[in-house]
Amino acid sequence: MRRTMLVWLVGLVLASSVQAHHNFLAEFDPAKPITLTGPVTKIEWTNPHIFLYLDVEDDTGKVANWAIEMGNPNSLIRLGWTRKAMQVGDVITVDGSLARDGSNLVNARTVLLAGKQMFAGSSGGKGK
Amino acid sequence: MHALARLVAVTAGIIVCVGVPLPAQWRVQTKGVPMTPAGTPNLEAPAPKLADGTPDLSGLWDAEKRPCDEAKTPLGCIDAVRGVPVGFGNLGADLPASDPNDPTPFQPWARTLVAQRTADFGKDSPHARCLPQASPSAWATFDMQKIVHTVDSVTILQEFMGQYRQIFLDGRPLPTDPEPTFKGYSVGKWEGDTLVVETIGYKENWLDGQGRPLTEQARTIERIRRVNYGTLEVGMTIDDPKAYTKPWKTLTIRLALVLNTDLLEYICNENEKSVQHMVGKGVVK
Repeated sequence: MRRTMLVWLVGLVLASSVQAHHNFLAEFDPAKPITLTGPVTKIEWTNPHIFLYLDVEDDTGKVANWAIEMGNPNSLIRLGWTRKAMQVGDVITVDGSLARDGSNLVNARTVLLAGKQMFAGSSGGKGK
Repeated sequence: MHALARLVAVTAGIIVCVGVPLPAQWRVQTKGVPMTPAGTPNLEAPAPKLADGTPDLSGLWDAEKRPCDEAKTPLGCIDAVRGVPVGFGNLGADLPASDPNDPTPFQPWARTLVAQRTADFGKDSPHARCLPQASPSAWATFDMQKIVHTVDSVTILQEFMGQYRQIFLDGRPLPTDPEPTFKGYSVGKWEGDTLVVETIGYKENWLDGQGRPLTEQARTIERIRRVNYGTLEVGMTIDDPKAYTKPWKTLTIRLALVLNTDLLEYICNENEKSVQHMVGKGVVK
């Protein structure tokens, strides 16, 4: 309940607040949008970027692990997030851009948890 | 630009009202801030003074940001959901280096180099690789910085990578042959209410996000003025004959005082794993 409330409140303003440190276009291709849904398998609440890892099942039933690159923790901390805001096992939906090098890596623009916007935007996203 | 301070304050207020526990930083209240009759921080109040009567530059500062427009930003919206620090991409004019209106007096090799770095989406940027920014560009950065000012020195603590820079105000001369460093060797003196800082001894580096070069021949002049309690302005002259045909002035960088938070630890190499994926434009799959 507490977490849901925090998501609601912070989600309103988070989109204008995340930041990090490198050039989005060098790593990601905005012309390759992608949406992934699956359970979180690992959370790295670290600088210079938060990384989330998801198990995602494709149309054939094959499961692959994806890395999701986010902004840095400090901006989120200043907005009231904590490293415990998301837990391993939470099912999330990520909307973002695919890495240029073809690896299972996405720069997230929005992250939805139980239908609520969570970490929005990221190191290169526009936010909403 | 007081947007962040307002944002934090408003958000903190909302969350406090509903009783959600907050991190310790949210309970911090900056002390000694002049207040308006209405009881709000008066950021337009005069700059505070040190014991010797010179302006006190101390405080936690955040560079002015502007909204990022991908169509007009050659390097894309670099980590820019909160906005791009004015001057981060281009300390010269907020124009692409290839723009004929860009007034930067490049040496030919420097213009070619910047064009190459732009075409590569800045993939080799030292900033992305967790290396320090040179002193001039460090004013126009994404992250906050804290100035600790005494009569004899100014120390700038950058949140990004825990960097520090020293500016000596004790009357010492510049060294004749300093060991090159990322921050250079800086001395300052007052001209009225403006601190004029001269720096030499730079290690070769990128001057800004588009990759304008800064070489070991560089000598920079920064003019730092605390316009009022809540605003700092920094104008710079870049004198680097190896890279530029004549000295040139940068944009004036404005920074806003940030209240009710502290520097947070930011160790860039803690978990840097993006660089291996930075392929730039050359090898797009």
